[in-house]
Amino acid sequence: MADQTPGNHNMHGEGAGAGTMKPGFHNTDGQGVAGHGSFFQQTNLSAEEATQATEWVRKHVDRRTVDLGERMDDIREHMWELEKDGQIIVHRITDDHEPVDVQTLFGWNKRVPTKQLWHHKSCGQCGNIPGYPTSLMWFMNKFGFVPGKDYLDETDQTSCTAWNYHGSGIGNVESLAAVFLRNFHQAYVSGQKHGHEAGHFFPLVHCGTSFGNYKEIRKYLVESSELREKVTKILGKLGRLVDGKLVIPEEVIHYSEWVHVMRNRIASELQTVDVSNVRVTMHAACHYYKMVHEDAIYDPTVLGGNRTAVGSSMAQALGAQLIDYSTWYDCCGFGFRHIISEREFTRSFTMDRKIKVAKQEANADVMLGIDTGCITTMDKNQWIGKSHEQDFSVPIMADVQFAALACGADPFKIVQLQWHASPCEELVEKMGISWTEAKNNFETYLKEVEAGNIEYLYNPELALGGKA
Amino acid sequence: MATYAEMQEIYDDIRSDFRYDHELNGCLNCGICTATCPSAQFYDYSPREIVQLLWTGNVEQIYDAMQEKIWACAQCMTCAARCPFKNSPGGLVMIMREVAIKHGMQSAKDVLRPFGRVMLKLITTGNQLSPDMIQPDHFPDWGPNIQKVEGDLKTLRKAIPVKTLQTTDTAWEVSLKTSVEMYTIWEMTGVMDALETMDENLFDVIEDFIDEKRDDYEDWLEEQEDDD
Repeated sequence: MADQTPGNHNMHGEGAGAGTMKPGFHNTDGQGVAGHGSFFQQTNLSAEEATQATEWVRKHVDRRTVDLGERMDDIREHMWELEKDGQIIVHRITDDHEPVDVQTLFGWNKRVPTKQLWHHKSCGQCGNIPGYPTSLMWFMNKFGFVPGKDYLDETDQTSCTAWNYHGSGIGNVESLAAVFLRNFHQAYVSGQKHGHEAGHFFPLVHCGTSFGNYKEIRKYLVESSELREKVTKILGKLGRLVDGKLVIPEEVIHYSEWVHVMRNRIASELQTVDVSNVRVTMHAACHYYKMVHEDAIYDPTVLGGNRTAVGSSMAQALGAQLIDYSTWYDCCGFGFRHIISEREFTRSFTMDRKIKVAKQEANADVMLGIDTGCITTMDKNQWIGKSHEQDFSVPIMADVQFAALACGADPFKIVQLQWHASPCEELVEKMGISWTEAKNNFETYLKEVEAGNIEYLYNPELALGGKA
Repeated sequence: MATYAEMQEIYDDIRSDFRYDHELNGCLNCGICTATCPSAQFYDYSPREIVQLLWTGNVEQIYDAMQEKIWACAQCMTCAARCPFKNSPGGLVMIMREVAIKHGMQSAKDVLRPFGRVMLKLITTGNQLSPDMIQPDHFPDWGPNIQKVEGDLKTLRKAIPVKTLQTTDTAWEVSLKTSVEMYTIWEMTGVMDALETMDENLFDVIEDFIDEKRDDYEDWLEEQEDDD
């Protein structure tokens, strides 16, 4: 049986043979393809022969294998040339990082490291949705990762500063590039303090905007010798060159890509809660797949390969019902400046194009996101809808938080749902976890916290440069 | 109102940005960018119009669009992902915003005034929003359910099982050395100059803060040397 799902039309070539008619082949009389005139003759090919004969067509129309010629440049190739010329050092992903290969939009290969990761935190997540990074680190511990060896979280990191840049226009390519190179240099050398070689830890970027911004900046750095020259002076002054050279990473990796490549291990080794009754809608962050779009992960087994796979793939692997909705591609309405100083735009857009649609069309139990701004926007702007007779609400959280819940993580201590404004308690209850009991336990734990008895995911000294 | 020569200078500054040729490759007026644009649904803003104005070099209307329209863009970059010409209207808007700031346009000052508190936080700490800025009284429209567990912010942050996140005035704990490095970046890349052009008072406050932090860092370095 040919797969007739949207975006996967008749991929086995059935219907090309005599007298067959399948969806996607608009013949009206059951006698071959319509519209070819009286000279049309049936080929009488078997399904296998037809598949073989039309192989080249599929190869060329499938955008994931399309030959782009000179229309799309793979910046990574130029990066290797610059390194060969002795101009930069490429922070490599080695076998020690236990990488998993995935395909991006045009079928290019991307290596996603799964171990020895430097947590590049997100200002929006840490400030507002702390369950995001804690769930991620919780998973790493669950897989037996050793803090200080298999991952590192430390205080020597600034934000990418791109939220401010996109919001205000204060900043410029040079400042963004200097911040990018400073943070990634720190990731490169961070292992040395803990007895490892340079390059031991590879940066794992938590924020979607940091991810998009860094890739855009990397492209400019590779293309512009003038920009490289300018920032080399700055990085030199900061003492952040290696042998007088800039350090640029082989890949820029988003945390959701780590979740994507680990999803089957998460589901098979760690899942304890059945989520087959949970209706999931997905909102992929614009800056994940619309900035430097050739680098976003697409997978033919996820949504027909027509939409970026991250987030959705995690929900699928857990066995949840992944439900489509008509405004999937829309932005959340965050707007960078808008969420702070033009909130009427942000809340109107997110309610009208995301929350209302997810509820009315998909009857969603949860909307998953993979980024800071989207989750904040959709989570915080539901209540106000009531004043405009738009009384819709959907729990909002990150893919990794949902996955952590499905793997038995504490909704408060680890998933930190107490910071969310949307009705996450409804989802937790639907998953068979008692919200009240978890909340009571957490309130008891808060007394322990006040007494100084705090539970940590890793030895806190590690964050300050101490030993694990 | 600017003279024609000033408007021409603004247009020349936009065109001389090295990203300009990346972001503008041609335009057939197809309007896909505007059809997918969230801001176009709520504001008098069209990415197609921005591209057309730049493509045709209409300096007066470019200047006019820089008064308000460019600030409507939500920077989602859906337009860039969809454009058949591989234009980035959102990217062009960023160039125009930078130029508006460089020229100290009053409209930019007006738009950015409510953003000052965030700018202060960002430039002095490298973080954008801190937990103490996201309190219910700052965002009444976020509703009564903004925090599901009652309690003192400090204690609630201490209950996050990650050391770097147990902060209230920054999103995570940023080392002093890191902050001082960032100040150098701001100064060497002209960000402080841009800030001074936009808001002199804010600039003064930030300068004082930076001086103080640098002194703290020097003291810390001396302490380290003494310990050695």
